[in-house]
This record gives sequence, structure tokens and C-alpha cells, in this order.
Amino acid sequence: MKEIVVDISDQGEVRLETRGFKGKACLRESRFLKDLLGKETFQQLTPAYYQDQKSTTRKYLNLCG
Amino acid sequence: MSHISRIELQIKSLEDLKAACNELGFQFCEGQETYRWYENTRGIDLDALSPEIQQMSRCDHAIRVPRCKFDIGIVKQDDHYELRWDDYYTGGLVKKVGKDAGLLKQAYTLHKIKREARAKGYRVVQKKIDQGVRLILSA
Repeated sequence: MKEIVVDISDQGEVRLETRGFKGKACLRESRFLKDLLGKETFQQLTPAYYQDQKSTTRKYLNLCG
Repeated sequence: MSHISRIELQIKSLEDLKAACNELGFQFCEGQETYRWYENTRGIDLDALSPEIQQMSRCDHAIRVPRCKFDIGIVKQDDHYELRWDDYYTGGLVKKVGKDAGLLKQAYTLHKIKREARAKGYRVVQKKIDQGVRLILSA
């Protein structure tokens, strides 16, 4: 399930986390929140970020013997 | 997870700030040009204060907080608004708005996100967490 989780502390600090997205979709989906609220001061990409939504495997045949 | 971000809040919407004030029981004073703080509540006429103090007392709007001697000034800066207020204890604001006006910023952020996220078709769930509030947006 794709979710954007936003924690707002009693000191007014905002932390945003995307869950269930693969690849750059998380950045696209959460962009509007960052634009609404202010400036992004920290970003950490997680392993899921580096997974493409559609991964294709190419197989090559050795035609030259 | 996909990524984690931290965001430095900038207040860009007066509508959401008004809604936050309403929720917290504060009075949004649209167009009020000065706000009360230590230097201008000592019984001295504003015109008699130094130009620096007069300038620091100016704002575009203000927020009155019940049972507080001081106000919060709202000053337009380019594309956002800055909150100006005196946290000196006699003004009583820290108890009501939190350190760095955190509780006011929190209420503003909640209104802003919920309104915009619902307009974009997200389902929004709000939960209380330790020392804050969590919003979960799902499509």
C-alpha cells in the first residue's frame, strides 16, 4: 500500500516519509507537500527508491558460436 | 519505505493560519499594523519609542491570544509570512503557543496538509503520537 506519512511535532517540525513506492514515484507523489510547506532541509533515500517499478531482463543469445 | 525528508516550515496561507487560530481559540486580527511585545507595552506612546522599536512593532496582521499580554505579529516576506513574537515570560505566549510557536505551526500544518491532500483525492487519517501528530495519506 502506498502511503505518505507526515509527523508534525509539538515544536512545529515536519518529517515526511513515503512508504510502498518504488523508484522515483515517491519523490513525484510527495513533491506537492514539500511545495506547500516550505523548504526541504534533509532527504534520505531508502533501498526501495533504487527499485524500478517495471524491471525488464534482457537475454542475449550468443550468435557467433 | 522510499525516502524520508525533513521540511522547514514556511507559512504561505493566511486562510490556513486563520483556521489554526480558530481551532486554538486565538483571535486573528486582519490588517492590524502593530503587535504588543515587551518594548511597546511599558506605557510609553509608540511615537515616543526609537525608530528601531517602532519598526520592530510593525506587522501586516496580528494574532491575539487570550490571557496574554503580548501578541504575535505576522509580517509578509516575499512569498511567505513570518511570525514575530516576544517569548519573554511576562507576555505569557510560550505557555499558549509552545516553544518557537510550535503549537501554532503544528495546527497550521495540519490544516494545510489535510485541505490540500483531500483536494488531491488522498484519504487522510490523523493519529496522536508521542510529542506530536501523525497524518497518513493514502491514495
